[in-house]
Amino acid sequence: MIEGVKRTGINEWEIPLGYIPGMRVPGRFFLSDPLAAMLEEGAVRQLANVATMPGILQNSLGMPDIHWGYGFPIGGVAAFSLDEGVISPGGVGFDINCGVRLITTPLELRDVAGKGEIIDELFQAVPTGVGAKSSLLKNSEKSLDGMMLQGARWAVENGYGMERDLARCEDNGCMNEADRREVSRKARQRGIPQGGTLGSGNHFLELQVVQEIYDPAAARAFGLAEGQVCCMIHCGSRGLGHQVCTDHLKVLEAATRKYHVSLPDRQLACAPLASPEGKAYFGAMAAAANYAWANRQMITHTVRQIFSRRFGIGYDEMPLVYDVAHNIAKFEEHLVDARKTRVCVHRKGATRAFGPGTPGLPAELAAIGQPVIIPGSMGTSSYVLRGTAVAMEKTFGSTCHGAGRVMSRSQAKKRLSGKEVAADLARQGILVRAPHENAIADEAPDVYKPSGEVVGVVHDVGISRRVARLSPIGVIKG
Amino acid sequence: MSFVELSHTADVKIQVRAPTLALIFSDAFCALMQTAFGTDRRAGMTREIQVTATDTETLLMDFLSEVLFICEVEGQVFARASVQTDGKSLTAILEGEPFDRSRHAGGTEVKGISWSGLAIARNDNEYVLDIIFDV
Repeated sequence: MIEGVKRTGINEWEIPLGYIPGMRVPGRFFLSDPLAAMLEEGAVRQLANVATMPGILQNSLGMPDIHWGYGFPIGGVAAFSLDEGVISPGGVGFDINCGVRLITTPLELRDVAGKGEIIDELFQAVPTGVGAKSSLLKNSEKSLDGMMLQGARWAVENGYGMERDLARCEDNGCMNEADRREVSRKARQRGIPQGGTLGSGNHFLELQVVQEIYDPAAARAFGLAEGQVCCMIHCGSRGLGHQVCTDHLKVLEAATRKYHVSLPDRQLACAPLASPEGKAYFGAMAAAANYAWANRQMITHTVRQIFSRRFGIGYDEMPLVYDVAHNIAKFEEHLVDARKTRVCVHRKGATRAFGPGTPGLPAELAAIGQPVIIPGSMGTSSYVLRGTAVAMEKTFGSTCHGAGRVMSRSQAKKRLSGKEVAADLARQGILVRAPHENAIADEAPDVYKPSGEVVGVVHDVGISRRVARLSPIGVIKG
Repeated sequence: MSFVELSHTADVKIQVRAPTLALIFSDAFCALMQTAFGTDRRAGMTREIQVTATDTETLLMDFLSEVLFICEVEGQVFARASVQTDGKSLTAILEGEPFDRSRHAGGTEVKGISWSGLAIARNDNEYVLDIIFDV
């Protein structure tokens, strides 16, 4: 383990006060020994940097998929006091509300024999990759406002889904604090043509089969059964979110100086939550988050239409299990020093994992806990978990968001050929489509930590519990 | 062009070495274009942009962010840039072409330019820039 970091339990580690000057709270992270061996010093340093921010409560937290990012580490979680705390785009990221959702179908693997054709049809229908623009949507200024203010509800009301989808989205797929006045003209220009597009990088649309059920009661409540074909969608707020982050970083950079906040990294630029600059960023971020929920809802609609037509199943036979955000800041109520307190939780490459009985969960899931969707890589399993009371105590109701990279994209391109990776996956029964072979090499299974190991840690620590494992059968890469 | 990609787990970290600040800016620009659109980029049309900022690092951030915006909204891909700068303001002549999926889809979408790790240092005879693109 990196010098200066202390083990505090099985899979639990602490970055003590004083690891870097100015830390207000200790850092705390969760890693098994094999994952600890992959930990980068840069990620520990970033977790310590977050611990220096004003108003941070209890701990700067790292989930087991922690890795070196910018501002917060990826896998970083921190909650801030409303009185003394700050808000920072560095704790959210450029891709605001990058997130993931899972849709079930009534089909089994044998029903989608000859699956190459459906993968091709989905690949044609959902715009992907660099330069992707939407042609299926009649996007306009008015629809953009609808997406930003109402999120998934706008999509459902405009024919892109079902009313019951909304209860299966974190916060019903809409942050009410959205303020479109704080979203620049430039962000709007980027957002209009991209509604309903997947994007590039690690974004994907994947067909999967439920391989294993660990928690039958929870699986039943979530609508999951062994052998079932599902569809997972991973994307975010596209250029609109990227521009909101870029615009407000500039404002908050100046605000950092105005409010005399001393920071070890300019990407942590922040402002007090109650300041005009902090409120402006929060309103714009919420608008971008809503855009992302509407975006995933539109892609869901395309998937349902194609499945419906090709397999003769009802649109309403493909319910949403859940939709979770990975990059977001939110006001939530948590126990701080044994008192219920409203705080601002930043999750940067981390997933909300609310335990049973937490307000905001749909009634039918209240006793089970929130579904948590953890994507694997193209060749490895994805998992559905459930949120726990332990997460509410230890991590402000948060858990990991994925496997976490171990290999850079430049190394991946040097070592791996996209064509060979695709051929290797095809031999395992996993078909891959991408706008370019580089996108396949970039995101090959070998560049990620083993998803099972990461999920094993959150399960063992108890900040979420395994419900089901799904394996990929077809992947569309962004 | 003189830039190299350094190892970074999640994102793209670039180092540029050049004798002048103007070349640091134009090489960082080329690194950004190569990351986003690959190496087959051709000059044709030209486009001039002007940016001002309070310090050199912010000027570079604003310049590259503006280029990302133009590429996305106008569907342009640029081959090279000729930059004039005093460190607080710049004028850049960009030379490029319309986005062509058959030649430009091999890149990776750049979501933004990160302040983390951004440093422009001056040695005896050259400038050295470290910069991270979020992809």
